[in-house]
Amino acid sequence: MSDLVGYLLTGLGIGSGFALVASGLVAIHRVTRVVNFAQGAFAVLAAMLTSTLLAAGLPHGLAEVGGVALGAAAGLLTGLIVLGPRRDSPGTTPGTALIVTLGLGVLAYAIEVLIWGDQPRSFPGVPGVAEIASARVPAHYLLIIGVAAPVFLLMALFFARTDLGKALSACASNRYAARVVGIDVRRMGLLAFALGGALGGLAGVLTTPVQQVTFDSDVTLIVNGFAAAVLGGLTRPVVALGGGLLLGVTQTLAAGYGGGAYQVEVALVLMLTVMIVQAARAR
Amino acid sequence: MTAVEVTGLTVRYDGATALDGVDLTVADHQAVALIGANGAGKSTLVKALSGLVRPASGTITVNDRLAQVPEGREMFPDLTVDDNLRLGAWRRGRRNRDTQRLYELLPDLVPLRNRKAGALSGGQQQMVAIGRALMADPEILVVDELSLGLAPLIVGTLAAHLRALHTDRGLAVLLIEQNARLALDLCDHAYVLEAGRIVLHGPSAELARDPRVTDAYLGAGHE
Amino acid sequence: MRLLLLGAVTLAIPPLLPERHLATFVLFALTATVTVGVSLLMGYAGQVSLGQAAFYAIGAYAAGLLAVHGAPPVLGLLLAPVVAAVAAVLLGAPLLRLRGHHLAFATLAVQLILLSVLASADWAGGAIGLQGIPRLVGDDLGYAYAAIVVLTLAVLVSRNVIASRPGRALRAAATSEIAAAASGVPVGRHRLAVFALSAAMAGLAGGVYAFYLGYLSPGSFPVLLSIEFVVMAVVGGLGTVAGPVVGAGVIIVLVQLLNTLGTQPGMPGYAPSVLSYAVYAIVLITCVLYLPRGLVPALRRLRIPSRAG
Repeated sequence: MSDLVGYLLTGLGIGSGFALVASGLVAIHRVTRVVNFAQGAFAVLAAMLTSTLLAAGLPHGLAEVGGVALGAAAGLLTGLIVLGPRRDSPGTTPGTALIVTLGLGVLAYAIEVLIWGDQPRSFPGVPGVAEIASARVPAHYLLIIGVAAPVFLLMALFFARTDLGKALSACASNRYAARVVGIDVRRMGLLAFALGGALGGLAGVLTTPVQQVTFDSDVTLIVNGFAAAVLGGLTRPVVALGGGLLLGVTQTLAAGYGGGAYQVEVALVLMLTVMIVQAARAR
Repeated sequence: MTAVEVTGLTVRYDGATALDGVDLTVADHQAVALIGANGAGKSTLVKALSGLVRPASGTITVNDRLAQVPEGREMFPDLTVDDNLRLGAWRRGRRNRDTQRLYELLPDLVPLRNRKAGALSGGQQQMVAIGRALMADPEILVVDELSLGLAPLIVGTLAAHLRALHTDRGLAVLLIEQNARLALDLCDHAYVLEAGRIVLHGPSAELARDPRVTDAYLGAGHE
Repeated sequence: MRLLLLGAVTLAIPPLLPERHLATFVLFALTATVTVGVSLLMGYAGQVSLGQAAFYAIGAYAAGLLAVHGAPPVLGLLLAPVVAAVAAVLLGAPLLRLRGHHLAFATLAVQLILLSVLASADWAGGAIGLQGIPRLVGDDLGYAYAAIVVLTLAVLVSRNVIASRPGRALRAAATSEIAAAASGVPVGRHRLAVFALSAAMAGLAGGVYAFYLGYLSPGSFPVLLSIEFVVMAVVGGLGTVAGPVVGAGVIIVLVQLLNTLGTQPGMPGYAPSVLSYAVYAIVLITCVLYLPRGLVPALRRLRIPSRAG
């Protein structure tokens, strides 16, 4: 029993990371129709910068904020390249955009290896082990949950209650109508990219103390994030959140009771099944 | 003063000419109709007025605040009616996005305010589209196909609202319509667009008697 | 005539190359073979595969395992494309219902699953890898010719597919599926056929690769390799016969040049990898944004007016 509680909490912690990556994907895809393959790179960049800032003596909190800011900046830059630099830029089609963001992901490799090398990096998180319902869980997992939960709440409020959030939703809902009422759809797209970058960055910063980060960790992150997001058709943030948590818990349970192997396969097979079922239902 | 002045407007899509040297004027507080068959170039003119397509040549001068009721109503289907209306005032800044005055103007929308726009009937959506355009506090309203796909009774109600906005509040209107009888009835002045060119224009009462109009646009098939 | 000339030049290259460039040439020909398949898949079936290295791996492991267990190398080489194509048909039946980025991620997932399975499979050597694969031919020159044969085969097949009626129908389907379906073309079956064909090309190249290297591990087939095939296909020009060969050639030469630069004394240890990542990324992005149809169509357009004038 206490094993189960432990696995669940650990899974929710890991799943929160996936959910953050997934919501970044969803935020960008809803507004721009672009599936951003560079989403995992935002997390890696943020984590790497945070490790450097911490090593340079910056206190926890500030260093993490720096990492998230880098994620947001990288997101904005990605948006500028994908959507075009000027207001009347034609931008790229969603199909081409996937290829461009793929290229940007590889470009991030070059930058990361150049600055931080190709060895895994990590930094300390919350030390110690917490005991909940007689289950012992590394305390950092609780921090991940404790930070991610309010972030999701804030996002929900942002989209539901603020005009800016509604304008973003309006672009997702009907781009033409958004232009008719005078919303700058491209600027909203850039905002979505920056938001997606920040969410990806937060995922990287939060999970690195429990899972080392290497320059090519982005593949695992993007695949898990996509798997979580695809449950909601890449457009529904709440489903993406649920999908991420489900994925994290399933993987932890599979690892815990299945002896460590098949952790990766669980997410991947789940994702393939969901997509194939969705495609079959769409006909 | 003129609200909108279009001179020599030419728009091409991939080489095909959609509008060819169009001249059109809407004076302040005037209601002008643009009638023409499907594919005559009416929607292109609306898009050019709103800056959504770029003209190949010619000038468009919009002196007054312009808001558009687009063809097909173009709701934000996932958002509530209230949110649709608020976003109509997007350009005007947060302080001017209060929907209260609009509900006084169009009380039919009050019971719908919390429903998703996508779940409304066509007539209700058209009312929301008009309301959303009014939220921009326009001096001229460009209405693209008011009657398209709606039952005559509903069109009558919408037309009455539009007429009241024009006569009581001095709102200038540019009504783009396939239904020529409705357009000529509602507006003081009218233009006839055929294959991208203005072929006729004048006071609505005169055009309504012109055989070229009665034969082509007011025949039995257009009732 | 032009083809014959091209063939003669290609055959004349390997003996003239110094030893270390010969290795690059083999790598180029094998990579180009896989890229021909990727280009066919992307240009003609309109499908992005981010997992083509999986079929490269399947071919390599099929050939390697057979050879390790005593089968004659030629048999392994012949079976490599067959095994890869069968795998593609089995996977493609469900996966090709997906489109666009869904298919891209699905193929990526397939590769990740394969890598994970290989890494934990003792019969395939696990994470350490499969060792002691016998050689197919004596020296690198032999492998260069083997690779040329494989590449030529892929190019000829791709040329025939592109010129065929189903090829033209697929081209139409890549732009408008509804129109193609309305014309009565069995798009789904053709698409699966191209998927299997591209997998066979990758499998065949993988077979040669296994014998050339004599050693295989899951680490030889990273996701990045799949991305590299896509980059080469896009850069060369999708759906053209010469595009993938030119794309692979240009990128491999660029990477090799920068690799030489990066391993100069005084350069930091990470320089070669940084430079090669940067090449892939910058060439891809520049190409997509400024030469969206790829190098070969762009060069062709340059040449035609000069000929006319």
